[in-house]
Amino acid sequence: MRRPSAILEDTEQVETVEDLTGVFESLATTQIAKVKNKVDMSKEFFNLLWAKYASLRLDPQSRITSRARSSNGRIVFVVISAEAGLSGDIDQRLIETVLRDYDQKSTDIVVLGSHGAQQLMQRGVRYVKYFRVPTSDSYIDVSPVIEAISPYAQAKVYYEEYISIGVQDIKSIDLIQSIQTMSKDSEGSEDIISEKDTIFEPSLNEIADIMETAMMSLAFSQVILESGLAQDASRFNAMAVAKKRASELVGLYSMEYNRARRSQNDRQMREVMVALKRKKHERSKYA
Amino acid sequence: MNQDRLLKVDARSPFEVYFQDSALTVSGSNKVGKFDILPGHADFFSIINPDSELVIGTDQEDIRITASNGIICVKDDQVQLFLNI
Repeated sequence: MRRPSAILEDTEQVETVEDLTGVFESLATTQIAKVKNKVDMSKEFFNLLWAKYASLRLDPQSRITSRARSSNGRIVFVVISAEAGLSGDIDQRLIETVLRDYDQKSTDIVVLGSHGAQQLMQRGVRYVKYFRVPTSDSYIDVSPVIEAISPYAQAKVYYEEYISIGVQDIKSIDLIQSIQTMSKDSEGSEDIISEKDTIFEPSLNEIADIMETAMMSLAFSQVILESGLAQDASRFNAMAVAKKRASELVGLYSMEYNRARRSQNDRQMREVMVALKRKKHERSKYA
Repeated sequence: MNQDRLLKVDARSPFEVYFQDSALTVSGSNKVGKFDILPGHADFFSIINPDSELVIGTDQEDIRITASNGIICVKDDQVQLFLNI
């Protein structure tokens, strides 16, 4: 049996872990609320922008894909993982899903987040580019990633989807298709804007190009936000489990400590009794 | 102030609403040059110059916004500014 002082030391350490996991849990909750708000704002912005784009009566699918004619003919998987650990098993599930679809001959991987990059390296899978997950409270600059994936014929984004605080899923989307999916709600709500009655500066085509790039960046930003939300939720769950386990351990250690104290007291009592007995025996021997 | 002769302005970025109210003017610059939007302006669709300043003139204080890029859409005295896109 361990000594009570050693158990007390361990209890203090586990209590510190319990406090820390509690802090991480609260941080994750705050972050979830903040990101959810950002996702909602960004969706509203996208819908307004889409409504304007839709009023120009251009087909984004044909315009964007026609730009990709000069592509390298390969597919790129964009993997959005967490920047750090402590987010449960969600990144591992993400990488496993990516690798199920991955064919080295036709596909390249671009990874966002050091945790995902690490997991790929551990599995011996090479990626062509690594980016830190862009973080900002007001602006997510995804242009370096958009630029990196622009030579590819198809861009498939793998990310972690937030369903609820308890459930997160792995999802993949085609970036261009996702623009159309996201715009479903706002289609057809605006009047037609044409060159007959509107001044376009510098030109309708240049404006449409900018809007398409913006919408692609927005779609990508939303995926990053969504992913962050799922990672925070997963982190919250992992921390809740760790906190529960730490609380259980504190309870167990407390019981062990009491048992060890009792046993130590019993032993000391036994030693006193033995000494007394011996003394009594010696006294009766010389009397 | 005559409410009929005001612009209805909505200036926002993906994560921030800068201004959402009535205004007298909206000024900025694009590739062609400087522009001023006043009530009754023709329908107008333009790319704003990168890192240029936009000024929304109100009957109180002017609102100044510097955006990394953006688009301005003017239709029937309604001005929409999509910034930092």
